Amino acid sequence: MRPIIEFSAVSRLYGSRRALDTVDLSLQPGELAFLVGPSGAGKTTLLKLINREIRPSSGEVWVAGIAAHQLKASRVAQLRRRVGVVFQDYKLLARLTAIENVAFGLQVGDLRISEEEARDRSLDALEAVGLGDRAGAFPHQLSGGQQQRVAVARAVVAQPPLLIADEPTGNLDLETAWGIMDLFEDIAAWGTAVLVATHNVEIVTRLQRRVLTLVDGRLVRDQPAGKTGRMAWLATS
Amino acid sequence: MAGHLVKGRFPRRRLVQTAVANLLRRVFQSAARSWARNIASNAPALGSMTLLLVMSGLIGLTGFALHNLEQTEASQASLLHVYLRDDAAGADVVSLMNQLSADRRVSTVVYVTKEDALKRAQRIPGLPELAQASDSNPFPASLDVQVKNIDDVSAIDASVRGDVSVDPVYPTSYDRGAYQRIQAVLFGAAVAGVAFLALLGFVAVMVTMNSIKIAIHSRRDEITIMQLVGAPRWMVRGPFVVEGAITGVLAGAVAGLVTFSLTMTGISLASGTFTQFAPGISISVAAVAAAVVVLVGLGLGSGSSLISLRRHMET
Repeated sequence: MRPIIEFSAVSRLYGSRRALDTVDLSLQPGELAFLVGPSGAGKTTLLKLINREIRPSSGEVWVAGIAAHQLKASRVAQLRRRVGVVFQDYKLLARLTAIENVAFGLQVGDLRISEEEARDRSLDALEAVGLGDRAGAFPHQLSGGQQQRVAVARAVVAQPPLLIADEPTGNLDLETAWGIMDLFEDIAAWGTAVLVATHNVEIVTRLQRRVLTLVDGRLVRDQPAGKTGRMAWLATS
Repeated sequence: MAGHLVKGRFPRRRLVQTAVANLLRRVFQSAARSWARNIASNAPALGSMTLLLVMSGLIGLTGFALHNLEQTEASQASLLHVYLRDDAAGADVVSLMNQLSADRRVSTVVYVTKEDALKRAQRIPGLPELAQASDSNPFPASLDVQVKNIDDVSAIDASVRGDVSVDPVYPTSYDRGAYQRIQAVLFGAAVAGVAFLALLGFVAVMVTMNSIKIAIHSRRDEITIMQLVGAPRWMVRGPFVVEGAITGVLAGAVAGLVTFSLTMTGISLASGTFTQFAPGISISVAAVAAAVVVLVGLGLGSGSSLISLRRHMET
């Protein structure tokens, strides 16, 4: 099976600073992996490369069969429709309700989806994240955890083969964070690859999933699922 | 729970209808709402563009009238009026007519009686009063000589000045350099008009670009989210282009209405004088000018938005 993400000798420089240094990695469909490392290690840079917000200085980045490293700006949308993204600050549109935010993510990617269908599918997605009864609420009427659930619903409503999350639990308490992680596990179980950048030691150690450790832009450790108990010290560094 | 996420229903019915409805909603409706929301930042652009388009419409109509005037002057400059003495003998007049008709440089020769000259004068503003001021007809009979080439008018004039039947005081209508002077004046007016419009156009484009820049900044979160969730470029940029187009079309509509109204007022209030000083300007010409003004507004608004998007969207 072809990996959903494939990095081949990828480096990324910001001026003279090397944010990523010759990184090789791959992620299979349905795999849930954590990306850990200290601040400035290159986690966000790596996620931005996947979503083609930036291009690598050298190397190749393949995402869902698309060569992101040589993708023209005019074709970026094509790639992003295959990648669901969850952010630490949710990035919901304040003037839209929860269901409208989810439908927005669905319809901007595909004009052929009717209003009615978008509404039905968005409601399904909201129910799936446990917010079916808050579909009409505006973001400011929802808690942080609920807003993040709406963001997850928006990210997966178009059924992308890959979901990336940048510190999705950074603004949440531990109990709420576990709820979000449960969602990610469910999503991965249904075939979507999930890559989560996080600082949350407890989640990383307890979930026993694959852990990729970045330090100073280098991928220093790639710990397979089930063998992550010793990683706690890296996540706290 | 996750089962809901992957059940995926993608009905294929009415795809085109849905796509068009979504396109209208995402681009046009979104643009209209945003335009209304940002009315305060759009107002200066609307005002300056309206002013530009009103000036463009009026200057355009003036240019059209001047062009017609220039054409009239050119044809009149090659028409030489040879004024005859009141006491000229008929045989002498016929002799002069024959002499001119035989000239290869001359196209036609027409004899105009004193009565015809008076009738012609009465159609020219100001001259009827002059005719009424005198008991007798002050306008002389003449030979209207249509010269084939405007450069030969001078030679024809010289050949008839000494003739016995020609008025020795005011022999012909020939005025050396008059046509060239008119051309120079018209050229100067055209250059001044174009320069003025270019300056106004520059101001209008800059103001519109600025209003679109403000719209982009006020919606930067939405733009970022749209881009991150995979909205195609045209869907992100389209509403801003339409916003500019709305500004342009509204400004054009107002300016077109003003241009048309002013022209109609001119035609209805002073039809004789207006026709004389703005030849060729009619209701249909005014309507065409108004339509052109609307189209120019549309182009100007959309174009300014596109330039602004190129400058500010990527950042």
